[in-house]
Amino acid sequence: MTEFVQLVVIGLSTGSAFALVGISFALIFRTTNIVNFAQGAFAVLGGQFTVWLVDKEWPTAAAAIVAVLLVTAVGALVGLLAVGIRGLTTPLASLVITLGVAFVIQALQLLSFGDRPHTYPSISDRVWTVQGVVVQPQYVLIAAVTVVATLLLTLVLRRTIIGYALVATSDSVRAAELVGLSLRSVAVVTFAVSALLSAIAGLLLTPIQPVNYDSDVGIAINGFAAAAFGGLVSIRLAFVGGLVLGVAQQLVVGYGDAITPQARQYELAAALVIMLVLIGWRSRKETVT
Amino acid sequence: MTPLLEVEGLVVRYGPAIAVDGVSLQLDAGERVALIGPNGAGKSSLLNAICGLFKPAAGRVRVAGRDVTGHSPGEIVRLGVTQVPEGRQVFATLPVEANLLLGAFGREFRGELLAATLRYVRRRGEVQERLDRVYELLPKLHELRERPAGQTSGGEQQMVAIGRALMAEPRLLAVDELSLGLAPLVVQGLSEFLRRLNEEEGVALLLVEQNAALAFELCERAYVLEAGRCVLEGPSAELERNELVRTAYLGGGLEVA
Repeated sequence: MTEFVQLVVIGLSTGSAFALVGISFALIFRTTNIVNFAQGAFAVLGGQFTVWLVDKEWPTAAAAIVAVLLVTAVGALVGLLAVGIRGLTTPLASLVITLGVAFVIQALQLLSFGDRPHTYPSISDRVWTVQGVVVQPQYVLIAAVTVVATLLLTLVLRRTIIGYALVATSDSVRAAELVGLSLRSVAVVTFAVSALLSAIAGLLLTPIQPVNYDSDVGIAINGFAAAAFGGLVSIRLAFVGGLVLGVAQQLVVGYGDAITPQARQYELAAALVIMLVLIGWRSRKETVT
Repeated sequence: MTPLLEVEGLVVRYGPAIAVDGVSLQLDAGERVALIGPNGAGKSSLLNAICGLFKPAAGRVRVAGRDVTGHSPGEIVRLGVTQVPEGRQVFATLPVEANLLLGAFGREFRGELLAATLRYVRRRGEVQERLDRVYELLPKLHELRERPAGQTSGGEQQMVAIGRALMAEPRLLAVDELSLGLAPLVVQGLSEFLRRLNEEEGVALLLVEQNAALAFELCERAYVLEAGRCVLEGPSAELERNELVRTAYLGGGLEVA
């Protein structure tokens, strides 16, 4: 039982990071109909920039804030590129652009940060033990930040004029254009906000799972799966999806170890299978009701 | 006097197909003008080209004497021409009030979301006054203000779409298919509202309609479009008596006026 709770605790924290990336996917897809393949790269850059600044003896908090701001700017730029030219760039073309951007970001990281994993110390070396279950402060931090970020985002979308503008674009592109909203501008802000959320996820995850230039693939797949749980549009369900996925992966690793020492290699695949089953079950329920 | 809206030889193409083939029209401030014609005559394409949704292949659009051909929808809204789109196109998941506020927000848009937000926040007082005025004109919207617009009836959604357009303080309201999919009684109410809006607030109307009877009843003048060309124009009373119009749009001569 203790082992199970332990795995769930770790799963909830890594799952929180997937949830943030998943929410970023959903936000962009909802407002622009673009599946952003550079989403994982935003998360990885968040981690890489933080490590880079921490290595320059910056205080961790300052490094994290600057890293997030840098990635947000990158996100805005990618948004501008991905939307392209009105009437000419189709969502499919945008998708290919984001894929290209993801490769370019990988290459630039390889050139500037090398091909070894990077990490920085977590916020505290202390470890809490609750009835045999080990809880690291970093786990709590990831979960707390994710919950707060999700609530804030929901509040912005539901209560502010910028949020209304973003939601309006996803409700009816035609009407959004007619009232005078510019789709390009909405897309740039959406990409920037998504990059910000993913960067936070990436940098918080880095002390637990060191980042490398190619870590974006795993993060993007996990984030995408979380978003797919909510049909790529629901922020609430992307949040739940991330947590489910994180816990599922930890359980596969934890209990799989007992069966075969190679279980860790199947972590992602097994979790995705579980996710597929859940998505299938959910969509079946939807068609019935 | 310079007309409020002047369209000259407008051509709209979708690839090789020509939707609007050289249409000219004029509308003065405070006028009520209809654009009628069968499905596919190019009415909506003409309207959307006026409102900046597509670039016309040829021709000119002027608003109050200013050439706005090919300008963005936002610029045209700022000059006072606002469209109530076909099928209403409300922002379904947003509350009615958010739909209305976006009508005012869109006007502040000059390409940049954050700058627009700053301008909007600075004008928040005026926006609130405008909102109160729209609620006064359409009290039903005040009742529904917290409900997601997608969860209101068709007639109510049409009110939301009109209210949203009014938030931009238009001088010309271009209504695309007011009656589409709505019960006759609801259409009657909306049509009376538009007439009052025109008479009391001086907002000009450009009504795009398949329902010619409604168009003639509400508007002083009309243009008849067929296959992308303007085939007839004149005062509604005259067109109503026209043999061609009677057979094509008013159910022959069978209807007793």
